[in-house]
Amino acid sequence: MIVNNIEIMFGGQAGDGSLTTGDLIAGVFKRMGLEVYTYKDFPSRIRGGHTNYVIRAGERPNYGMADFVDGLVAFDLEAVEAHIEEMRPGGFVIFDNTSEVVPEHVKRDDVTWYEIPIGRMAKVDLGLELVRNTIALGALGALIGMDPQAVRTDVTGVYKRKGEKVVDINIRAIEAGENFVSEHFAQTPSGYALRAGIDGDRLIMMGNDAIGYGSLVGGCRFMAGYPITPATDVLEWMAKYAPRYGGVTVQAEDELAAINMVIGASFTGVRSMTATSGPGQALMTEAIGLAGVLEIPIVVVECARTGPSTGMPTKTEQSNLNHLIFSGHGEIPKIVISPGTVEDSFYLAAQAFNLADKYQCPVFILTEQALCQSKATLPRLDLSRVHIDRGKMVTEPVVFGEYKRFAFTDDGVSPRVIPGVEGGMHLAPGSEHNDAGVITENTKNRARMMEKRMRKMESARPDLPTPLVHGDPRAEIAILGYGANRGPICEAQDRLASQGVATRFLELRTLWPFPEDEVREFIENATSVYVVENNYTGQLERLIRYVVGPLERMHRVLKYNGRPFRPIEIIEPIERLSALRGLTGAQR
Amino acid sequence: MATMLTPKDFATATPSWWCAGCGDYGVLSALKQALAELGKVPKDVAFVSGIGCSGKISGYLHSYAFHGVHGRALPVATAVKLANRDLTVIAAGGDGDGYAIGAGHFLHAVRRNPNMTYIIMDNQTYGLTKGQSSPTSQAGYVTGTSPQGNPDAPINGLAVALAAGGTFLARGFSAQPKLLVDLLKQAILHEGFSLVEVMSPCVTYNKINTYAWFKENTYYVTEKETYDSTNRMHAFEVLNDDGKLPLGVIFQEARPTLEALAHLPELPITQVTLDPHSSDLNAIQDAYV
Repeated sequence: MIVNNIEIMFGGQAGDGSLTTGDLIAGVFKRMGLEVYTYKDFPSRIRGGHTNYVIRAGERPNYGMADFVDGLVAFDLEAVEAHIEEMRPGGFVIFDNTSEVVPEHVKRDDVTWYEIPIGRMAKVDLGLELVRNTIALGALGALIGMDPQAVRTDVTGVYKRKGEKVVDINIRAIEAGENFVSEHFAQTPSGYALRAGIDGDRLIMMGNDAIGYGSLVGGCRFMAGYPITPATDVLEWMAKYAPRYGGVTVQAEDELAAINMVIGASFTGVRSMTATSGPGQALMTEAIGLAGVLEIPIVVVECARTGPSTGMPTKTEQSNLNHLIFSGHGEIPKIVISPGTVEDSFYLAAQAFNLADKYQCPVFILTEQALCQSKATLPRLDLSRVHIDRGKMVTEPVVFGEYKRFAFTDDGVSPRVIPGVEGGMHLAPGSEHNDAGVITENTKNRARMMEKRMRKMESARPDLPTPLVHGDPRAEIAILGYGANRGPICEAQDRLASQGVATRFLELRTLWPFPEDEVREFIENATSVYVVENNYTGQLERLIRYVVGPLERMHRVLKYNGRPFRPIEIIEPIERLSALRGLTGAQR
Repeated sequence: MATMLTPKDFATATPSWWCAGCGDYGVLSALKQALAELGKVPKDVAFVSGIGCSGKISGYLHSYAFHGVHGRALPVATAVKLANRDLTVIAAGGDGDGYAIGAGHFLHAVRRNPNMTYIIMDNQTYGLTKGQSSPTSQAGYVTGTSPQGNPDAPINGLAVALAAGGTFLARGFSAQPKLLVDLLKQAILHEGFSLVEVMSPCVTYNKINTYAWFKENTYYVTEKETYDSTNRMHAFEVLNDDGKLPLGVIFQEARPTLEALAHLPELPITQVTLDPHSSDLNAIQDAYV
């Protein structure tokens, strides 16, 4: 019997309501005191196409998928065929056998099969095909021991705005699912049980919502964006909340407009942001250079998906790191930070605006579909940890002629007036300019101005989010990674530790300016180094080599099929290579 | 302000990079005159320009001036207005900036109707890159990139803006300062997006659309006795006439501005107090319990 540790996959066709039910399952797990992580694996279309929603629950936070699926709820054969190989031996499948039969060669005999005519029960018994999901929820709840009261409370909560009739039929659907299980499967337990813990004062939130929330708390009052998966949620979040706090959002005509609007609003003195994904990021590149040379603070959220071009818009990847760091003609100071959890997404988003204001440069928040569109449980957010520092912003009158917008300073940061301030009138030109903003091609000035701007990268270092060390800091095996991979890497570490293999993991939260000293020190005396990332070319690993030089004991652990790592995919290469080096034995 | 400012108060010390005789001088001087006559002060004027000869104008107007990337003056200016609605916001650029690389933003600025003024300085050529054809060049115009004659029909920017829902459309000529000052003043006072297309001859590269050509080929709409600038049909008619170019206020109508429809706070957003510890903000997370 596996208690309080389960990964459910809810699979069917897009548009059939499985996402809503996935959210419901996650909510019930949370209510039962478990830590939850969800992962949406859906096609880039509105109706049809295989979609699934992974909901993982355990006694401790995981921030990622498990090695296997424990329970698959399949509304069609396609869902079974697509995922049967991912099932844990001893797991179970709930299959809607209304109109399809599972062929024998697909029907693994090491999983338990619960065939339920869900579609027929919905259509014939309850008269509403839509409640298939809720029937399945009832059956699932009965099989794994979800708190029936919590199920009813959450279902009522979700459907109450649709009226009493809708709530009523959904409650009856739960009962139908539960009853079917007790009538037919009383003798075939699922092997899984949930014991209610205590649902402390916790939240369940999606990464993108945390970014929106953190930005608003961090003082963002202007957002312009162009809808793009998987970043649109941030614009939607801000569109809902920003006006209540004196802010405004604009759905721009394209990403070129969005980024230029962000620059315009920030030039005027309002903390401003946009959120986009790879294709939009590419379009924004020119204007980001403008923000760099004009020393205008902007925050750009990059919700990474697979590329190139359209790629797989709803799938995850970490292939935009190079783009954020190296794209753009000319050279500008910029900062790239990346959260590893939903909670960190909130705090880093708030911090991004201080970094932008203090160093007057573009700040990128790099996140990935596997984190930004995933929900997770987290402690309540502590707003007292957020403070607002507008850096050298000047709102009091200055003396015209004495004031220089681009004054040369030791830290590279010049006092920044905003329009409306008496005496501060100047030209902010994308062309090279002198300290007063007058366009000039003077060679001495050019060199000095480049140095002034780039100096901000060094000035910013002490302020940047620090990397986190997970695991045993003295372990000989070192792992590096960032973003959504924090979850699977930490879990892999725990499992390796339980086998006697100690590891340490440096979770990079600032990727640019690259934390050279920390990384060099971290890998210096490691026997082997693993860089875990979701791309083909090993972008982070190359960055590290760029800093430390060629390193024979450094290995890439890569995945680029559009899905996030499962822990086993990190454990196996480490075990394999460590065994080759005879390390595993030595450390046991 | 105790004393009215003069056009000189809107001048910068920066020497101009324009050629002697360039039409853009007339635009700059009319703009300074208009701002002074309207009692504007430099600190409250935000002036955004694009790229090209015309884009250099932002360096010559004493104000909060912004010289961005090619074609994107309007998104920048729209956001400046949203961020601080108390500012007088003016954008300026050439025919290439507004009708070619920035054409998308042009349409959307027109339809959004922010309370700002957009001056298109139309010389019907790409001057700064030494005389290629532009979106307003006449068909057949021979240049380095169109040695056999420009194959593209010119864009009729004002007609496009009229179709897109423009609320103030005017055309001036840089050699007629009195008219231009008057048009710019009306445009700045207009509540909404005001577009002033100024014929601004390029003396170096455009040997066809010269000062003399414009004198010959323009007329004031007010010369038409029955012309009604609030009548959309009248506007379409004069803008689509193949004959001479109409000058003056072609069309104007009242329509709610972007600021009015975007649920902006009473004060400029720049003045909104940021308090990360407010109980209101903290309560947002209650929705996620």
